[in-house]
Amino acid sequence: MKTKLKLVLTLFLVLIVQNSFGQEKMVTGTVTDENSLPLPGVNVLVKGTTTGTQTDFDGNYTIRANEGQTLVFSFLGQRTVEVTVTASNTISIEMKEDASQLDEVVVVGYGTQSKRTLTDAISRLSSEDIVDVPNPNLQNALVAKAAGVQVTQTNGKAEGGINIRVRGAASVSGGTQPLYVLDGIPLIDPSGGIDDVGNGAATNPLLTLSANEIESIDILKDASSAAIYGARGANGVVLITTKRGKQGKAKFAINMAQGFSQPTNKREWLNADQYIELFTEAAINGLGEVDGRAEAEGTFDFLAGDTDWRTREVDQNWSDEAFQNGYTTDADFSVSGADAKTSYFFSGAYNNTEATIRDNQLERITARTNLSHQFSDRFKAGMNMSFSRSEIDRIAGDNQFATPLQAIAQSPLSPARLADGSPNPGTLYGNFLFDAENAFFNTVIRRTLGKVFGEYSFIPSLKLNSDFSYDIYSQNEDNFRGQNSLFMSTNGQAFSSDLNSESYTFSNYVTFDKRIAERHNLNAVLGTEYINYNRRITSVTSQQFPSDDLNTVSGGAEVTAGTGIELKSTFLSYFARATYSLDDKYLFKASVRRDGSSRFGQNTRFGTFPAFSAGWIMSEEEFLKDSNTLSFLKLRGSWGKLGNAEIGGDYPSLFLFSGVSYNQRPGLAPIQPGNSNLTWETTQITDFGIEFGFLDSKISGELGYYIKDTEDLLFSVPLVPSSGAATINQNIGMLRGQGLEIALNTRNIETEHFTWTTNFNISTNITELQSLPNNNADIVNGENINRVGETVAAFYLREYAGVDPANGDALYYLNTDNGDGTLNRDTTTDINEASRIVAGNPFPELFGGLTNTLLYKGFDMSFTFQGEWGASIYNDGGRFQSVNADFYDNQSVDQMNRWQQPGDITNVPQARLFGGNGSAPSTRFLAEANFIRLRNFTLGYSLPTNVIDKMGISKLRIYTAGLNLLTFTNYPFEDPEARYDEAGANNPGQTFYSAPPSRVITLGLNINF
Amino acid sequence: MKKLYTIIHLFSALLILTGCENELEVNPTDNLPGELAFTSESNIAAILVGTYDEAGQVGTYGGRGIMLPDLLAATNQVFWRGTFIDPRQAFEKRILIDNFWVEGIWVNAYETINQANLVIDNLETVTSSPEEKNRIEGEAKFLRALNYFDLVSTFGLPYEAGQSNTQLGVPLRIEGIIDYSQNLEITRSSVEEVYTQILIDANDAYLLLPESNSFYADKYAAQALLAKVYLQQGNFVSARDAANDVLVNSGHELTGSFSELFSAVSDTDEDIFTFQVTSQTGSQDLVNHHASEIEGGRGGDITIEDGYLASFDDPADERANFTYINPANERRLTNKYREQFANIKIFRIGEMHLIRAEANFVLGTTIGIDPLVEINALRGRSGAAPLLALTYELIFNERQLELAFEGKLLNDIKRTKRNVGARPYNDNSLVFPIPQTEMDTNPSMVQNPGYGS
Repeated sequence: MKTKLKLVLTLFLVLIVQNSFGQEKMVTGTVTDENSLPLPGVNVLVKGTTTGTQTDFDGNYTIRANEGQTLVFSFLGQRTVEVTVTASNTISIEMKEDASQLDEVVVVGYGTQSKRTLTDAISRLSSEDIVDVPNPNLQNALVAKAAGVQVTQTNGKAEGGINIRVRGAASVSGGTQPLYVLDGIPLIDPSGGIDDVGNGAATNPLLTLSANEIESIDILKDASSAAIYGARGANGVVLITTKRGKQGKAKFAINMAQGFSQPTNKREWLNADQYIELFTEAAINGLGEVDGRAEAEGTFDFLAGDTDWRTREVDQNWSDEAFQNGYTTDADFSVSGADAKTSYFFSGAYNNTEATIRDNQLERITARTNLSHQFSDRFKAGMNMSFSRSEIDRIAGDNQFATPLQAIAQSPLSPARLADGSPNPGTLYGNFLFDAENAFFNTVIRRTLGKVFGEYSFIPSLKLNSDFSYDIYSQNEDNFRGQNSLFMSTNGQAFSSDLNSESYTFSNYVTFDKRIAERHNLNAVLGTEYINYNRRITSVTSQQFPSDDLNTVSGGAEVTAGTGIELKSTFLSYFARATYSLDDKYLFKASVRRDGSSRFGQNTRFGTFPAFSAGWIMSEEEFLKDSNTLSFLKLRGSWGKLGNAEIGGDYPSLFLFSGVSYNQRPGLAPIQPGNSNLTWETTQITDFGIEFGFLDSKISGELGYYIKDTEDLLFSVPLVPSSGAATINQNIGMLRGQGLEIALNTRNIETEHFTWTTNFNISTNITELQSLPNNNADIVNGENINRVGETVAAFYLREYAGVDPANGDALYYLNTDNGDGTLNRDTTTDINEASRIVAGNPFPELFGGLTNTLLYKGFDMSFTFQGEWGASIYNDGGRFQSVNADFYDNQSVDQMNRWQQPGDITNVPQARLFGGNGSAPSTRFLAEANFIRLRNFTLGYSLPTNVIDKMGISKLRIYTAGLNLLTFTNYPFEDPEARYDEAGANNPGQTFYSAPPSRVITLGLNINF
Repeated sequence: MKKLYTIIHLFSALLILTGCENELEVNPTDNLPGELAFTSESNIAAILVGTYDEAGQVGTYGGRGIMLPDLLAATNQVFWRGTFIDPRQAFEKRILIDNFWVEGIWVNAYETINQANLVIDNLETVTSSPEEKNRIEGEAKFLRALNYFDLVSTFGLPYEAGQSNTQLGVPLRIEGIIDYSQNLEITRSSVEEVYTQILIDANDAYLLLPESNSFYADKYAAQALLAKVYLQQGNFVSARDAANDVLVNSGHELTGSFSELFSAVSDTDEDIFTFQVTSQTGSQDLVNHHASEIEGGRGGDITIEDGYLASFDDPADERANFTYINPANERRLTNKYREQFANIKIFRIGEMHLIRAEANFVLGTTIGIDPLVEINALRGRSGAAPLLALTYELIFNERQLELAFEGKLLNDIKRTKRNVGARPYNDNSLVFPIPQTEMDTNPSMVQNPGYGS
């Protein structure tokens, strides 16, 4: 009875209202997205009123409006659409994705913020930017996409590391990699800083993640954004967010790709003819006609073994033995969806990569579950859980004789294999094929990363988040070297290690978010965080095996070494942040974080890191609001302090002795001088930016300028060697980095069938030392120097002056000080007389990227060019590879241009066997590494919807993708990005028989349904 | 319900705030904090053992400190065929200032010296007995003296007998350093000052050490060191008497054959002092660079040349045939270094015989035994025919037949003022450069002549 009355009265009211508004009517319709899928949750507003509704689960809506009024459809990530109500009662629209990205939501650490009102410098990459890149190392997708972010692929190994520098390095010997935060969990590299495991080379900490799990990557570049990570944000923060189910029915996605790869570059070495010619000449020049010829021919006899070098019976290309064609297989699937209360995302992925260097392979399986559920209006909880298992077959690190890459040093006169197919033992250096056939190095990494979170809203504007995450990383290595492996004198050796890293993070923070009186928007966060890292490593080595068939530690008769180490460090932090905007035009943000860590000296445990930023959206001002050309203009600036806690291990401040064994008697030896004042490096970053959009954001972009000042640089300061200790950890000196960033996005053509957009970014960075201890005394580490006024770790070498045309001697510039500030540019042949000079910068000073995306009907094409300028690389292998036949290593082909008779003008000195003519470290082996690369390329075709609809599929796309397809450079060594992977932080920018990255082409398929 | 949640969350927040600050005190479990290192006698004794381990590392007595001076002094006796550039520079007598092996010798020696200094500085903690305290002090001083002798004879210009020797030696550090924040600058002491310190330390060690001390340094190791130092100074009287003391009183004697001496894995009767090597501990870098791969080496980086073999007068001499050919590459290698876990020989009776005989010959005395008889007895051990008469030249030659590749050649050349090829004994190229790292960090350091400035 009551219900019926209500109904009648309602209808009556409706009638009245309708009548009083004249031609008011009910408008209905359906809102779909670009793929014709219904869009629930779209806001539908009658413009100029407060009448509004949202589309339902099927994308349908009903709203009351008058003819002539305008309906405004808006949804996050889609371009707002306005439609005037006409005589028809149905308005259905298709929304297109918002390419201008202004309404994008950006992850900022313990929260999110709209890009429009952001006062920080943050670069964002979405999942579309990350897919289709055929390489198991996920950071490859970041290359050339974000201004100020320089990504270097260090080599072509499957597990090869990637170096990321956000706005240049803020440290000299502290860590220089950004902090990776995965769904709020700060990740560490569990094998970092430990010598007892691995093959000496760094492993990519994100190796266990697969690109298909990632929703977005936000890179926090300035202090205002990164300060919320306080003491660990000095090198920038990379926030990785994994996917959540989106509103709607379950969506399935399957992707498969298969590809093959080759090295980007293979250098040319001497063939048999050239080798014989050059070395005969070198021996005669070095030892005299008779002795020299005898020496050379005797050596050729030995190198050729049973073959006849005089008839060129063997002309072995060793480079071909080391490299092979690589293959990749990639497959993944995901299921996701959400309704009003629950969202879910399940995915699995498989990757198998055979590298372009032989015996290097990576096989990885990952799986993920992200679930969240709204238990009540106030309480939401969820869980993210991921598993991954990676198996890597490794080769040796770059500086070990068994690495295939050092095979290029072998003579072309030596066959790689004997007539019976077994490896040739009579080679100049150990033949790596012995290790390839008699040794293995197998690593298995299992990782479980999980997070449980709860969100409780006291009132709609105040909520509490509690996150607990747990990361278990377990790495097992088995390295067996059999009876016939290189340098084997102990009848085989097995090494087995176990690294278990367990870390947990517990964060609790309260967020207040409210719009007050329409004009004021306030968001405040207050919280604490505790992180505990715990690592345990054990290893065993045994020797004396009865046969190669027993290849585990138990098979050996004698256990000869063992280690057991435990490492632990903890962080405790308190943080607060407030963001305020007035009229959505005047923007302010302030944050502060107080961090303490077990890694630092007792006296200096805690640090406080504040940051402020402000912005002004000028385009919202009256005088600009109605401009047709300028659609968006925002000015912003920020200042803040950050810290760097990666300073070499877990106990860098302590004075330590370790246990040693002398003939199995226990001893103690000092291993580390102590410094109880050791503390964080502090970096201050000042940042200015202008964000603009013209012609309705057809052209949009950002200009930014920053200054990064680091003091209390953490440094392993070389001590006076006669004092009995090599280095001590100290906070010294100051560093200043400056740079300009420009990013431009243009939507060049946008018609119904054809779209062309371009993204261009270019950045500069110069990082220089401002002060050092001991009255700015230089600190020299091998070929690098830290000197006030020069770039960090600048190359410091004697300067090669070419060749004396009269006698073929290698010449060096004296470069001694004339006393009046000028340098003596006379030359000398005695390198001990020459002074070293600053000769180059290991880091690029200018880098950028250009990405073009074209869509034509069902076709899509996208390609990215990447360029870097200003860096140099020192080839430490040059002293063996390109020294005009100083020793019997095979030489690079350019050595054939050696000086031969008086009057010859050339840069290659006379060939003199054992003569040391030009073999000393000098700028002879330093080269500029400028390059432009076609880094990523994708071409795809999606079948039209009418064809696939019948199959029940929403998307079917085939594509081909390429990585490193073209490289333009004058760099003479392996590859302008390939660098030595065993170098410490003090000697960046070197290559030593380093593997070039791979050129990959894949063919793939995406299916969504 | 809301209240309950609020309470739970606030309570846990409180817990976190208060409970966790203690979590920031984390002490390492694998290493000993330095503050505790000097607090007990057993720790001091352990630091002494650690000093032996340090001295036995690859940089100095684990091999490179012995090989590098030999390569520097060699002309036609050996040839360096290995790939390593740093020893090749020594062989070519063209050492660069940043030579890695030279730096290694310097760094390793001073690490050993610092550790010995730490032991000597903290002797008052050793209270169990005066004998124990003396033993510990004696061993530390022995190691310090040994290292200073090898440093000054390779980094300083040669000792000139009978002169005041003001030429630059090496920095003398005789106090252990714990606080590295202080100024570590130091100047080079003169060769005379370094020798004075060596003699003080070695003589102290002789008085303090017991007559036998397991495989650690004993009284006669100190005396053997003194014999060698006096010989280098041209002080034949003291050299003769010291060698005589060892030969008569130590209980050590020559092994039955030359091969017995070098095929042993543990110390023989002839060894007075060695650095211990096992399959698990210590370094035997001599085998690494001298031996074939099957024996544990790199295939024979140092080959034995005809020039050395031609110095033997008797083909029946076991030492003349003490080489083998590596089947893998036809190189002739020495039999002295084929045992990959053999101990590193520092002093042996053979050398003491040679010192006593040489001193007796020069002085015209016959303390202990007539020099010609002594030399012939040594030759007889290896089956070589006796000499009919002695000359100084023959004694020098006998030293090379007996002690080749054991790190003695450079010192012999310098004290007898012979040439190395065309270079005189005091040529600048026969002295190591002060390492670049010391030059870069120590403003008071002066470089050796001929190595730039």
